[in-house]
Amino acid sequence: MKAPPFEYARATSLAEACELLRRYGDEAKLIAGGQSLVPMMAMRLLRPAWLIDINEIAALKFVAVESEVVRTGACARQAVLERDATIGVRMPLLKQALAWVGHVQTRNRGTAGGSLAHADPSAELPLVAQVLGAGMLLRSAKGARKIAAEEFFTGPMSTAMAPDECLEEVHWPLWQERRTGSEFTELSARHGDFAMVSAAAQIALDSEGRCVRAALGLGGVGITPLAFPGLTARLVGTRLGENDFEQLAREAAAQCDPGSDLHASAAYRRHVAGVLAARALRAAHGRAESVQ
Amino acid sequence: MTYLYIGKKRRTKEDPRFVMGRGRYVADVALPGMKHVALVASPHPSARIASIRTEAALAHAGVHCVLTGEEFCANTDSLQIGVDAPEVTRWALAHGVVRYAGEWVAAVVADTRALAEDAAELVEVEYDPLPYVIDPEASLEPGAVLVHPAHGSNVLYHRKFVWGPVEEAFEKAEHRIAFRAVWGRNATVPIETFGVAAQWDAGTQMLDIWASIQMPKFPDQTARALRLPGNAVRVHYDVDVGGSYGVKRGIKHTVLVGYLAKRLGMPVRLIEDRLENMRGGDMHGPDRFFDMQVAFDGDGTIRGLKIRAVDDVGAYAGRSPLQLAKPVTAICGPYRIPAVEYEPTSVMTNKTPQEAVRGFGQSPTNFAMERAIDRVARHLGMDRIALRTKNLIRKDEFPYTIPSGSTYDSGDYHAVVDKALAAIDYPALVRERDAARRAGGLAGIGISTCLEPSGGNSAFEVLFNPKNETTTWMDSCLVRVDLSGAVTGVMNTSSSGQGHETLVATVVGEVLERDPAAIRVVRADSLTALPSNSPVGSRMAIMLGGAAAGAAKKIKAALLAIAAHNFECSVEDLEYANGDVSLKGAPEKKLSWGQLVTIAHRNIHKMPPGMEPGLQEKFVWDVPTGGDLPTPEGRIQIYPCYAFEAHVVYVEIDRDTGKPSIRRYVCGHDCGVMINPDIVHGMTYGGIAHGIGAALYEKFAYSEDGQLESGTFMDYLIPSAFEVPELKIVDHCTPSPLTTFGQKGSGEAGYLGAPAAIANAVNDALEPLGVSIDRLPMSHAAIWERIATAHDTGSPTNEAGKR
Repeated sequence: MKAPPFEYARATSLAEACELLRRYGDEAKLIAGGQSLVPMMAMRLLRPAWLIDINEIAALKFVAVESEVVRTGACARQAVLERDATIGVRMPLLKQALAWVGHVQTRNRGTAGGSLAHADPSAELPLVAQVLGAGMLLRSAKGARKIAAEEFFTGPMSTAMAPDECLEEVHWPLWQERRTGSEFTELSARHGDFAMVSAAAQIALDSEGRCVRAALGLGGVGITPLAFPGLTARLVGTRLGENDFEQLAREAAAQCDPGSDLHASAAYRRHVAGVLAARALRAAHGRAESVQ
Repeated sequence: MTYLYIGKKRRTKEDPRFVMGRGRYVADVALPGMKHVALVASPHPSARIASIRTEAALAHAGVHCVLTGEEFCANTDSLQIGVDAPEVTRWALAHGVVRYAGEWVAAVVADTRALAEDAAELVEVEYDPLPYVIDPEASLEPGAVLVHPAHGSNVLYHRKFVWGPVEEAFEKAEHRIAFRAVWGRNATVPIETFGVAAQWDAGTQMLDIWASIQMPKFPDQTARALRLPGNAVRVHYDVDVGGSYGVKRGIKHTVLVGYLAKRLGMPVRLIEDRLENMRGGDMHGPDRFFDMQVAFDGDGTIRGLKIRAVDDVGAYAGRSPLQLAKPVTAICGPYRIPAVEYEPTSVMTNKTPQEAVRGFGQSPTNFAMERAIDRVARHLGMDRIALRTKNLIRKDEFPYTIPSGSTYDSGDYHAVVDKALAAIDYPALVRERDAARRAGGLAGIGISTCLEPSGGNSAFEVLFNPKNETTTWMDSCLVRVDLSGAVTGVMNTSSSGQGHETLVATVVGEVLERDPAAIRVVRADSLTALPSNSPVGSRMAIMLGGAAAGAAKKIKAALLAIAAHNFECSVEDLEYANGDVSLKGAPEKKLSWGQLVTIAHRNIHKMPPGMEPGLQEKFVWDVPTGGDLPTPEGRIQIYPCYAFEAHVVYVEIDRDTGKPSIRRYVCGHDCGVMINPDIVHGMTYGGIAHGIGAALYEKFAYSEDGQLESGTFMDYLIPSAFEVPELKIVDHCTPSPLTTFGQKGSGEAGYLGAPAAIANAVNDALEPLGVSIDRLPMSHAAIWERIATAHDTGSPTNEAGKR
């Protein structure tokens, strides 16, 4: 379990990282926390000729809570986001999801940007990005562009980033409604394992208890994390009850296309997707209701 | 009996060095100029090796050698095997054919492990795939693909033992049940993989070996396979072993590395990486199913038992078939069952070979047995505890001889069960479970009452192999008091976490009345060692503890003899206290420890005539009650001592996902006198955690096309701190009459009863749905499938319990 030979470059600025990417493109991999990349290299499943280390780039490690959006640098550690008090209050879904990402030890090193760029369809942070419609600011030597999560995730371990591009910032939209509740839940064999299925929901209510906005997503049951804007749009303007959660969850689960593996069959995953979707909606709604 | 040091909560001798990071493992053994091995493994479960091209690998920078089976097998001998199957040969490298995916085909030696891996990728092996068999039942069928065609069959061992009037019991009993219980292939999977370093000295013609081992007859087997005299192989036992519980056999690794070191004239080291370890390390545990039949009466009296056990040992055999033999020593568990039929079958398939794992086949057997007990209770509508209480051997019946010929030494099973139930507050637990059920949940209580046979000997070897007459399975210790009066114990094997240094120091300190903290324990190497059979079969508390005490008693006798000679009195007139010897009734007539030691080392004129100068004594002994060959019916005393454990566990299951959560766990435990309670408890905690893994998570799973699907820790799921609940252990002490201090072995505690208890708890939770599960591990998905079956059939209790 030793990585095949590779060249290593430590970038001290984003510009330098982009220049290295321009030069080596397909041959290169960025390394931040390395929590997925290093094991894959050790098992020789990935063989980058160049490893470009972005851990020294201070400008990629910020967390900024603004009025409409939480902006996080691509190299901000998962543990930093998890412990950020403002994120905990303003964007509880992100904090809830982070508790499921690996273990405390891996979160101390792993970065949110790394998890998104890795794009594992069962990973937690890509699901949150998909559900909230996060924006991805991409940078290359040629310039910057911003794309939405739904365009960013293109398949298992694959994104819309070009070989010479890197993730610079993530823009996590803040919902302005005061009565907003969220929930992240998942089923894995053991705590900290890859999710067999994960579910994220966020619901906002008006003062009368009517739904003004709702979002639902499921992870581990398709080639990318899935969001269901068409289904959740139907909830707007209504008072939600148990039947709505069950109905919506059933329909969302029916749209999933999970695979089978050693730990769970496709049928089991689809069943659990419905169970967790209903639980996430129910809990998110309960939290929104509890805000007076 | 009160003791100075035995049974006291005292700091262990080993832990300080481990806590300080000062352990010395194989990976810490750095020999000058040492080279490193990486392995080329077969991707096929069965294939003919058409050709191996090594040129590109040899040309790679830093590469010294690419060894294939052709050269290796011609120059070394096949490894020993536990049963009579001489055609089932086995070498570290495949020759001609491969028999499982992951089998080693070539070894690359290079300056670094990374270079060796780079070069290993350049070895070009051309395979012609052959048919294979993965399922053990398919492997037993006539016409099945043969894993070793020269053996003529896939069966390594089969016999039907009948002990007592079994057919009569089944005819006369009022009730009978039959079911199948399936145990998943798991192992202990230590953090440290297997490692070995070897160095050949051309000047002395001697091979030095440092290895991560827990293996009886290891130096002898290594020397034989390498065609060297026994005294040309020196195994260094002062290597810390980072976990084993059976699996650190490493004989094939060692013969390979020893051969390379000798052939190249360079020190060579192989430390398996996790992938090599999981697929090709030959460390998987029992993979077994049981067809169980029980005959019993309406009042719960169990009259007879029939057990058919089929164990899939994989593609080669070492000692693994014998894992079906050890359970013979406790074949009816802790119960009074007068007639037992046992039909073990050891079968080969194209999977990774099986090796010894914690309990040596006892835990799967206990699981099947305890499922049987619960099923009998359910069949009769009888309380599971009442059924057990009725059939458990009573305290006043010991020593108790079971139908298969072993005599249980001692026990008070009812007291241990009572203590465990009290510790968990059983009536309150039943209320908690029932409340959870009323609230719509699935909740269950599991109980298991199991034996831990201990004091490992070789009796199962002679039982399963008529050509083997090994009845000796000794262990030993040497105790030395040096000129300064300091005491050193010398043990003769390596340890893999059992705390043997603490054991020896405590026992020697107890006998000599000297502080164990000041007693040093060191290890001989295999050429200076007294005979030992290594720490297997929960034997060292009994065997090494007994040997250390025996040697210390001889030291004490020598001190008394010296004093008697100097006081011109008889030994009976003397008093021994803390190492000093005085005349009874005249305490001023005293020779201190220091004075006696000085006489022994310096003043032969004050020594009794004929007494050896210096102060050192050895003690070598064989396992108590051992030494017999089996009767024609296959009756034999196997292990001497029998510890007992009673588990009570409470599980809740998420009805919608099948996910189980263990909420409460108590283990009542009686292993006689504990030399060091912290060590016993530590092993029991670990054993229960491993048992939770076996019950719910851990499995070396194979795809239909013969590939190991759980070859990393992403898929081979070891329970973490999140999955293991708070564990409470309640001790009880019934001393063994057979051992020095009344101790029994306990190295496999916890694991032997945990899977059974958890399986019973999950089944108790499923009982209101009218479904059951008897296949381990019980994954979330597998439990949910059972729940879904109940939903489909619309069980009324289920409808009532729905949220």
